[in-house]
Amino acid sequence: MIELILFWTGACLFIVGGVFDLLAAIGMIRFPNFYVRLHAATIGAIYGAVVPLIGISLMALGSPDIPSRYAVAGASLVTALILLVVSPVGSHVLAYAAHKSRSVPWSPVVDALEEDEEK
Amino acid sequence: MVEKLNEYLELVMLIGAPLYIAAVILYSVRLLKGPTIPDIILAVDCLSYDLAVFLMALTLYYKTPFLVAPSIMLALWVYLLDVYVSKYLVTREVGK
Repeated sequence: MIELILFWTGACLFIVGGVFDLLAAIGMIRFPNFYVRLHAATIGAIYGAVVPLIGISLMALGSPDIPSRYAVAGASLVTALILLVVSPVGSHVLAYAAHKSRSVPWSPVVDALEEDEEK
Repeated sequence: MVEKLNEYLELVMLIGAPLYIAAVILYSVRLLKGPTIPDIILAVDCLSYDLAVFLMALTLYYKTPFLVAPSIMLALWVYLLDVYVSKYLVTREVGK
């Protein structure tokens, strides 16, 4: 019984993560410039990768016939935690570099960072 | 019980895998079209996160634990890619 509960909880997380991933991919296509696309990419990283990895970890715990299922579940959870720490840092670093190097052409209404740097 | 779980697993993969594959195709369009370097790096990020999830799903589907290690490597590799490309964009050199 507990295996079934673990399996279906994980399956729900996996499929919900897939839907969010598809939405993030559509956002990556449709959004107008890099700084707006960053928002879609971060949805794709957290809801589209961390949530399904936790779901896969639960699914592995709930499937008794997978060889070394505890190793698979643990590695999946560790990957989810690594992504949870690493992906916001990576996108923040990328946004900082894009703004600093002025490699993205855009026409903002307000750019407070630019005003601060000019002072 | 075990046979039932295998059927359920096939059903879940049948629903879930097309979503991820469609997302990979759309990210690849942005990777090929991307007008600036940060756009391309962002698309590579998302592709690698997707690939990490998909490798884990294949681990469950094919019932082999050998696909687990590359997933962790991909997550760390993408972070390194972000940091080095950002460093290159800001300072125009990678070393030190």
